[in-house]
Amino acid sequence: MFDLSSRQAKFVFFLALIVIGFFLFFPLYWLVISSLKANAELYQVVPTPFPTMPSLQHFVTALTTGKLPMYLTNSLITSTCSAALVTLLALYAGFSFAKYRYIGRQPVMLFMLSAQMFPFGLLLISIYPLMSEIGLLDTRPGLILSYIVFALPVSTYMLYSYFSQVPDELIDAARADGASDLRIFHTIVIPISIPPIVTVFLYSFMWSWNDLLYSMTLIVSEDKRTIGPGLLLTYLNEVNSDWGGAMAASLIASAPIVVAFMFLQRYFIQGVTAGAVK
Amino acid sequence: MAVIENNVGAYPVSPHANRGGLKAGQSRMGLLLLLPAAIAFSAVILYPFLSALGLSLFEYTVEMMEPRYIGFENFAKIASDPDVWAAFWTTAVYVTLTTLGTLVAGLGWALIMNQPFAGRGVLRSLSLLPWVLPSTVSAFIWGWIFNSRYGVLNAFLMEFGIIDFPRAWLSTPEGAMLAVVLTKIWLSIPLFMSFFLAGLQNLDKEQIDAARVDGAGNWAVLRDHILPHLRPVLIIVVVLGVIGNLQQFDTIYALTGGGPVRATTVLSVEVYRRAFEQWDIGFASAVGVLWVASLLPPAFLYLRMLVKGN
Repeated sequence: MFDLSSRQAKFVFFLALIVIGFFLFFPLYWLVISSLKANAELYQVVPTPFPTMPSLQHFVTALTTGKLPMYLTNSLITSTCSAALVTLLALYAGFSFAKYRYIGRQPVMLFMLSAQMFPFGLLLISIYPLMSEIGLLDTRPGLILSYIVFALPVSTYMLYSYFSQVPDELIDAARADGASDLRIFHTIVIPISIPPIVTVFLYSFMWSWNDLLYSMTLIVSEDKRTIGPGLLLTYLNEVNSDWGGAMAASLIASAPIVVAFMFLQRYFIQGVTAGAVK
Repeated sequence: MAVIENNVGAYPVSPHANRGGLKAGQSRMGLLLLLPAAIAFSAVILYPFLSALGLSLFEYTVEMMEPRYIGFENFAKIASDPDVWAAFWTTAVYVTLTTLGTLVAGLGWALIMNQPFAGRGVLRSLSLLPWVLPSTVSAFIWGWIFNSRYGVLNAFLMEFGIIDFPRAWLSTPEGAMLAVVLTKIWLSIPLFMSFFLAGLQNLDKEQIDAARVDGAGNWAVLRDHILPHLRPVLIIVVVLGVIGNLQQFDTIYALTGGGPVRATTVLSVEVYRRAFEQWDIGFASAVGVLWVASLLPPAFLYLRMLVKGN
């Protein structure tokens, strides 16, 4: 792309690489380093660039004394359920949009997609009384249902884009063999669509796992609290700020999503940028 | 079964007809498949949205059993409420700075990551990390960097002699704004980069080589070939960025709580506070309606591009 044979070009390139790279990676580095410092080293006015005496104390404390394991379990339950629910709904809707023709198909699809722009905070104002009315306030099912808001529109669109590329001949051939539509979808289309399905699952899982706003509003009881508000209330309250603990707990809370993402990032990026880049 | 086979054969096999997928007469099946998602969508997205629009015309506070219709009174109250105006202004500043900052850094990083060099693959993967971290975690990281006593930012700036005493960044309006803006830019670079990299994939390399033979330098290649090629992606990224930044709540709330005083109270924080701290649901909805109105222009652009794309 760029010709870096001249010294000047090299200089500009590496300068940009260092500046942006530093901005991107230093915070991550600092997160890891800070979590490994014991309090005596952590709270120094001139910080040390590496932990002189690395310590896992903050990790041990976070996992044994705090409520972090409970928050993690809660997040795991709500995120898995809502991701499964969103994926299931988006599967059928995406297939319907991609392979059937009916009046209002395109407007309905565009409308659903445009709902991505309804501010989540505004929807919450009405979701709150709604959940309260049907008795789902402060319950996991209530939170799981509310999480549909985040990911359903985009998930449907991602699966729609993928299903649109499934050749019609494949479906027509199975139809000619007498298979029903649902059967075709379940036994032929879904098995060849595992990568996008996993992408959509991960995408909606990520939204729920990373959420703060909905969880802190719709869940009141401590025993159902998820990691977003859980971390915030545990480590940064008015009285004391336990930064070492916050860093260690942050790493623990990020680990599942980071690992999943690293394995699936290729599909993930294709899915998210699909449609925008042709 | 024979009926279906006959049907398949009976249709003229034009490529256009075939694009329709499953054949006509199947629309009932299509609607049936759409039904579960449509119900869920109506229940948790459409109904709450319309209901919030409606509530903006009601007085509904925590002491009231039933909302009371008051017409446009909430909007009249907003018009004379300097706090809401300030929230609009703060939002404008926040959205402008975050979108511009991410655009420059994201494009720059994508161009760098598009250049072949050893270790690029690893670097590319790692640079996606800020995207997937929980928002509370991002707020923690930046809160710690900006910490007034032990923060590494103060240490850096003092080391290089830029400041001579530690600043309480998050306690000053400008410092707090800087912190929430940098956090959001940091979070969004991966997404922007991914879009730009996808756009760079189908760049015509021969055209660039030809330009080079004609004596074009790096700058000319960037200006005359790469940027024009990225124009559609650039537009979509800006629109998506504006939409996302207008909505941002979690990191701001966790980092500054909208403060100090109201310096980082953007619309999302304002609506949240009115609704769930002061329990003035009607007023919060009215502010929310204006918030949606500010989202309409970018939303319209986005949809228009999607329709064109189809």
